[in-house]
Amino acid sequence: MKGNLFITVVIALLLAIVLYDLGFFDSQRLLRGMRNLGILTSDMFPPDFAVLPVAGRALWETLLMSFAGTLLGFIASLPLSIAATRNLFAPLVSRFARFIAAAVRTIPVLLWAIIFVILFGLGPLAGTFGIAAYTVGYLAKIYADLFEGTDPEIVEAVGSTGASKLHLVRFVFLPEGANAILTQLLFMLEYNIRASSILGFVGAGGLGFVMQVYLQTLEYRRLASVLLLILVVVLAMDGLSAWVRKRFLITAQ
Amino acid sequence: MSPNSGQATALRVKGLWFAYREADWVLKNVCLSVPQGQITMLMGPSGTGKTTLLKLMAGILTPTRGHIEVLDHTITHQSQRALSSLIGYIPQQLGLVRNLTALENVLMGALGRCGNGALLGLFPKTEIHRARAAIELMGIADKTDEKVFRLSGGQRQRVAIARTLLQHPRVVVADEFVSDLDMALALEILSRIRRAAEQEKITFVMSMHRQGIVREFADHVVNLKAGQIESGFPPMVSQEPPYTELVQ
Repeated sequence: MKGNLFITVVIALLLAIVLYDLGFFDSQRLLRGMRNLGILTSDMFPPDFAVLPVAGRALWETLLMSFAGTLLGFIASLPLSIAATRNLFAPLVSRFARFIAAAVRTIPVLLWAIIFVILFGLGPLAGTFGIAAYTVGYLAKIYADLFEGTDPEIVEAVGSTGASKLHLVRFVFLPEGANAILTQLLFMLEYNIRASSILGFVGAGGLGFVMQVYLQTLEYRRLASVLLLILVVVLAMDGLSAWVRKRFLITAQ
Repeated sequence: MSPNSGQATALRVKGLWFAYREADWVLKNVCLSVPQGQITMLMGPSGTGKTTLLKLMAGILTPTRGHIEVLDHTITHQSQRALSSLIGYIPQQLGLVRNLTALENVLMGALGRCGNGALLGLFPKTEIHRARAAIELMGIADKTDEKVFRLSGGQRQRVAIARTLLQHPRVVVADEFVSDLDMALALEILSRIRRAAEQEKITFVMSMHRQGIVREFADHVVNLKAGQIESGFPPMVSQEPPYTELVQ
């Protein structure tokens, strides 16, 4: 008990020091921030829905980019994650595959978008590749760890039937991991929809460009409509995820 | 241990030593012979090396010293594909893929004979026919297309047997095979095993901790203690009524 109390006090003290360093206890600054929040909020209301046709088109582009980028990334992540699975391949192969996944993951999605804007020019193609690249790095790591965690008894039992490595992937790793594979894919799609809404800031297409224009021209009522639109899409994605999980995943033991 | 005189030997273990970590011996100089077409049961306290011995027999582990022969083929250093027509293996938790149907799980018994077409779910018609027949033999034809996670413990056990039978092995190695089932169900499943052993001339080696089942079904018993064979003998004649009668 004493040890727990000591750890709690130390963590609380550390948090207080970090917050102080970040200006959390600067009351004047906080008060100014609260006042500005009030002004910003009042400037945002009522939202200007006249921009919905323009924002809707941009949102559609964002959705297409997210959908295509996530699926491309998912498809590319599967072979990479299989190669990175240590109980299937020699250490040299799996380490190399894990290194590639880590290297791809190191670069944030916004930076990937900038790189692809340089490569392919402005527009949604750059955004789609940016999303795909980030998705590969993330999903390859998650899926490789998932495959490695597959019940060794199943691998041994199916392996003893004379199954090849590809057979094991097809009949053990993929179906056993199906729940987590689908859940992570849906999470990634939802994440990419939110993330890709800012890719337009660097000219990679989608809703970000519209948001940037409204921010720079101080048209906060229009910005509010765009944010509401994103909220609707995120809520719809939540509903879709729940439906897919209910429809396709194992629900009984 | 020598089997009953005149009985052909299906599996022979010679001077087997095994350690997961250097010099930390799990099995020490194990020698035994398993008679062909019979049910041999491996007994002994937990942690005594039964699972390790069965995995070595199935070719999943490689002996540190000594070797194992199945029908006069030395299995040490053989690929699992090469061994699949000789030995079938059923682990304690059965090793079924829960998110696939009973039929798909049983078809995995044919993977050693199938090429990459199976990756697309394309199995030869003869294999599908055999898989259905194996499921029927196990008495769960109505569960053929049911996903395994929806099946009961006993039904899963039958799927695991059907998968191994489709493999057409000469020897089946099973670890604590019916340990999670109630006695009546365990006896019914072992009766099916007995029929398979007799009809298909398959040799069964299984670890077992239930004395009643050993008395009822074992043709040959091997006792393992602290990584060594303590004794091996034909099972005692039961003084109690046969369990199959109790079930009926």
